[in-house]
Amino acid sequence: MSYNYIELITLILLAIGCFFILSGSLGLIKLPDVFSRIHAAGLIDTLGSGFIVLALIIYSGFGLLSLKLLLIPIFLIFTSPVTSHAIALFAHESGHKPKGKNKK
Amino acid sequence: MAKPNKDSLKTLSFITYFIILFVFWFILSGYLKTLLLFFGVISVLFVFWMSYRAKALEEDSLPLKIILRLPFYWIWLFKEIFKSGITTTALIWNGKYSPQLITVKASQKNRTGIANYANAITLTPGTVTIEVDKKTFLVHALSKKLSDDLQTDDMNKVITDLDK
Repeated sequence: MSYNYIELITLILLAIGCFFILSGSLGLIKLPDVFSRIHAAGLIDTLGSGFIVLALIIYSGFGLLSLKLLLIPIFLIFTSPVTSHAIALFAHESGHKPKGKNKK
Repeated sequence: MAKPNKDSLKTLSFITYFIILFVFWFILSGYLKTLLLFFGVISVLFVFWMSYRAKALEEDSLPLKIILRLPFYWIWLFKEIFKSGITTTALIWNGKYSPQLITVKASQKNRTGIANYANAITLTPGTVTIEVDKKTFLVHALSKKLSDDLQTDDMNKVITDLDK
């Protein structure tokens, strides 16, 4: 019975993570310019991967495996903003202007 | 600690760094045999020596004071990420975004703090640090609400307090 409980929680968290990844991918196509699209990619990096890793940690139970899984978000905390910032900085320096507040 | 002098503080941070590296090695490998643990110590020492040569162990790149507060800060950061993530997701789905550029002032003392603040801004969905000057950031936000949240200066205060 308790086993099913854990599986249910895992399923829900995986679904939430997938929803965030779906919205991020949608934003990557839909948003108007480079700078806005970086936000969508950041959404995938943080919340999408975060919820999926959380689901896997709960599923695997406490142990060495879950500690290893915990390392993934810790590294993502450091690396994902660096890549976002690098893209944004180069787009800015090569003369891309962010689109103004004229969207609907 | 009454008033630790510089050298003992430095030794302490070296020891902390060593322990962190070794715990990292252990989590990744999971071996408990003596011989393999010994090899682990050797590889950790090698990495330690490399980062010492690369001058990665300077004072403000290994801040001891922060380490204990870091987990609480991460929990707070995750809450922030979640909140603005929801906002960004709603913006993407209903299409009511209005991108804008703002400048934000940073009040951190050292380089680590400033990098930390810039990273935190980028990490919360909907805001990206584009350019970092000495004490001001150029930030791109996806909507008015997100940039207003940033300009309330809460995040700045939390990260400045982290280094007290």
